[in-house]
Order: sequence, then C-alpha cells, then structure tokens
Amino acid sequence: MRRVLLVLEPIIWGLFSAGMMVGGLLLPAWAFVMGVAGPLGIAPAAASYDHFYAIASHPLGRLVLLAAMALPLWGGAHHLRHLWLDFGGLKSDGLVGALCYGGALVGSLLAIVAVARL
Amino acid sequence: MAEPKKKTIVVTRFDPDKDEAPRQQSYEIPVEPDWKVLDALNYIKDHVDPTLSHRWSCRMAVCGSCGMNVDGEPKLTCKDALSNHGDTVEVTPLANFPVVRDLVVEIEGFMEKFQKVKPFILRAKELAVDDGPTRQSPAELDDFRQFSMCINCMLCYSACPVISTEPDFLGPAAIALGHRYNLDTRDQGQAERNKVFREDGGIFACSYAGECSEVCPKHVDPSGAIQQAKLGNVIDWLTGLVLRRGDAR
Amino acid sequence: MSHSTPIVDAMKPSRPGATRTAPPRPPDGFPSRGNYRAYIAFGFGGFFLFTVSLLVLRSVWALGNGEAAWNRLQTSFQNPIYVLFHALAFLWLSWFILRLFRLFPATQPKRIGPFQRPPDALMVAGLSGAFVVVTLVVAAILWGAF
Repeated sequence: MRRVLLVLEPIIWGLFSAGMMVGGLLLPAWAFVMGVAGPLGIAPAAASYDHFYAIASHPLGRLVLLAAMALPLWGGAHHLRHLWLDFGGLKSDGLVGALCYGGALVGSLLAIVAVARL
Repeated sequence: MAEPKKKTIVVTRFDPDKDEAPRQQSYEIPVEPDWKVLDALNYIKDHVDPTLSHRWSCRMAVCGSCGMNVDGEPKLTCKDALSNHGDTVEVTPLANFPVVRDLVVEIEGFMEKFQKVKPFILRAKELAVDDGPTRQSPAELDDFRQFSMCINCMLCYSACPVISTEPDFLGPAAIALGHRYNLDTRDQGQAERNKVFREDGGIFACSYAGECSEVCPKHVDPSGAIQQAKLGNVIDWLTGLVLRRGDAR
Repeated sequence: MSHSTPIVDAMKPSRPGATRTAPPRPPDGFPSRGNYRAYIAFGFGGFFLFTVSLLVLRSVWALGNGEAAWNRLQTSFQNPIYVLFHALAFLWLSWFILRLFRLFPATQPKRIGPFQRPPDALMVAGLSGAFVVVTLVVAAILWGAF
C-alpha cells in the first residue's frame, strides 16, 4: 500500500497544498458564522434555509462550496497522516495513509454529488 | 588577579569496549569569558581527561566537524559561546545519529544519502574544451548560491523529526544540495535527480517542520529548498507524464 | 535531561562500522519544546480542516434533503459542544493559515525568468491581508448581507 501511495505522492501533495490554501481561506469564516454566530442567534440569516439555498444553488456558490468541501479534506488527510508518522507510525503507514486519503476521496465524491443534487 | 569563573560541563561518554550504554560524566573547569563550548571540551581533553573524544577542526564554523547538541540544541561547538549557557552545560552527541564513541557520531549514513542525490553537475552532453567556458550570469548564480553554502555539519539532521521516524528519508542537507544542482544552469540532470527525490524517503517525506533551517549555522534554509523542490518536482512529474518519459513512479 | 526510546534505524549506514555503536536518540525536546510545539499544532490543524469541511458537506447535504432536514441540523448545531468546536476551529484555522502565509515566501523560487520574488514582508502582508478580506466577504455573504 505504501508503494501505491508513493507513486501517487505528487498528486496527493498538489491536492494537499490546494487544500491548505482553500481550507485556510474559506473555513474560518464558515466556522464562525455557521458554527458560532448562527447557532447563537447573532446571525439569524445564517441558519435560514432559503438564504443558504440561494447561495448554494448559485453557480459560483456551488463552485466555492465544492472547493470548500473537497480540497481541505486532502489538506487534512495529509497532515494527519504525517502526524501519525511523526509519532512513530511508520509500520502502519500504508493502512493509515489509505484510510486518510480514502476518506478524502470518498468525501470529495460526496461533495460533487451534494452540489449536483441541489 | 580575579579567580576564573567555573562551569560544570556534563558530557556524554561511551566506550563500546567498556560501556553497555552511553553515560554522563561531569567536569568542573575554569572558563574564560570569551570561550566557545569547543574551548571547554578541548580544555577537558588537554588538562583533565585525555580519553574524551570529540570531532573538531577549523574552529571557525566552516568545516562542519564540531556539531553536537548543547543543552538540547544542535550547535557548532566552535561557534556557540559558552556564555550563552548557565553554570552547568550539557553536551551530547548529535541526536538521530548512532554514536561511535563519546561525542563522535557515525556519519556514514549521511554520506550514503548524500551520494544518492548525485551532488555534482550532470550533463546530457559533455561540452568540448573548444566550446569555450560555460557562461553563468550573476542572477543565475544567485538562484542557487544560498543552497551551496552547506558545510555538511549535519545539525539539520539532528533537529529533523522525520529523520528519527523514517530511516530512509534523504534529509535536509542532501535534498538542499540536490536542489542546488537542479537550479544550476550548467546542470542537465534534473529529471534524474527528481526521480531520486520521488523515491521512498524522498522529498515528500518532509513535513515542513522547519527546524532544520532554524539550526543551520550557514543560513542555507534547507527547509525552503525542500519546499521549492516539491513544487519543482510536481511540475517535473507532470511534464514527464505528458512527454511520456516513462519515469513517473 | 532524559532521553526517550531510541529510534534504532535513524541514519544507519548500509554496512556496520568497525565498532559497536550506541543507538541514536530522537531530537531533544521533541515534541514539546519551542518550534516543535508550533509544528505539531500546525499539523493538528489538519484535524480541523478535515472535520470542518465534512460539516460543510453535511450542511449542503441537509440542504438537498429539504427544509425540515436543514432545520434539524441547525438545531443540532446549537449544542454547546458544537459551538465550542466551531469556535476552536475558527481560532485554530485562522492561526493555521496565517502561519502558512508567514512561511510561504521561502517556499517559492527566488526568480522566475526575469521576475524576482517580491520581498518576504510584502508577500506575507499581502497574503494575510487577503485572508482578512476573504474572511470578511465570506462571512458577510453567509451572514445575510447578500
């Protein structure tokens, strides 16, 4: 499994880099508004179905949401795999890597479906 | 005349013929205000305990021989002032290396990694003498100059968390020097070197801790070199795929 | 100073030397000291990248399931654990991206053709400024400004 991951490494690294950038730029705002301000009632529109549907069904909205859902998964997967390695997990790297990137792949595919079905 | 100040130097000792494992030995010695850590070690060897073994040579931070961990940080002992430390100073061999004896580490592992990146000009076609000198502009020299400043002191290997957990990792100095040649306009071996960089333990094993650059005494910034090499490598890999070079593995 | 378990294969030569060597020890102070701490915290940012993007996915999926599903999800987000998680994610990811931008200039080549790399301070300021602007714009859109 490690051999497979090694061959795919350049693509994984490219997705990871993009994921860090996109995730770091878009997700803090999401976390604050949709995760804190909205639930606490400070930003009532954030929790509104109609409002979010309008954003998400807009072509640009779809694209940005797709990027925000899919790319950071690769950023996260790569970081987590490397943290595992840093704490001595080399022997199980094949399995852990497969789980991390596999999870990112599944999430990315679901993200495509999620925006397509709106 | 004022009483010279004293410090206690706690040194790792290891004699494979006598010791099961490394142990620590303390030496209380008089010290001068302008001493480096190396001066203290040499004082111990010259006046207190001639059996202490440590590497050193130039005493001016260009040969890279005297790297050790001082109070837990990789340092060139000829450059690190003793006054930077308290009354007790702990000197241990470089971390991440097998220890041959006392403060002397086995560096053959580094030599092998270093040779893997082919740290020399590779030409697809050798130039004849009649072709004249190879011209390189100051800007072209500047592209790689910083990365050529490495003195192979291996402090970066001592600081790197990946070296301790992935034995095949090429490591900061080797990659920085490989990248130096990739950037050299006289070199034509980028594809070959980039293939080595993509092997197990290659550049993508680096997780950008950045500690190597923190400890580098010559400001080579191997960490920056590795990240630059990653981007260059992805482009090289894609180029190889498109051109069907057959080395994308 | 205590040393942790030796990592026996680090920097091991392909052939054994003439004498027995003591095993290598891991870098002193790893992972709790100084810059190592920042590095581990940065790596752990990956956890928030992964989980928050999954929560975005969950939200968009609920949206596709209809208003009732969406409202149920929004109610569940009111759980204090969720709110604390999102607050922590906001802080951690903001620190994460600003640190990434601080480290960014060194990762770029010094020169691309005739174009020199801009001064590091300028690049960091520009990228950090972009983060602030993007965050405000995205927040405004989600907040209901548009």
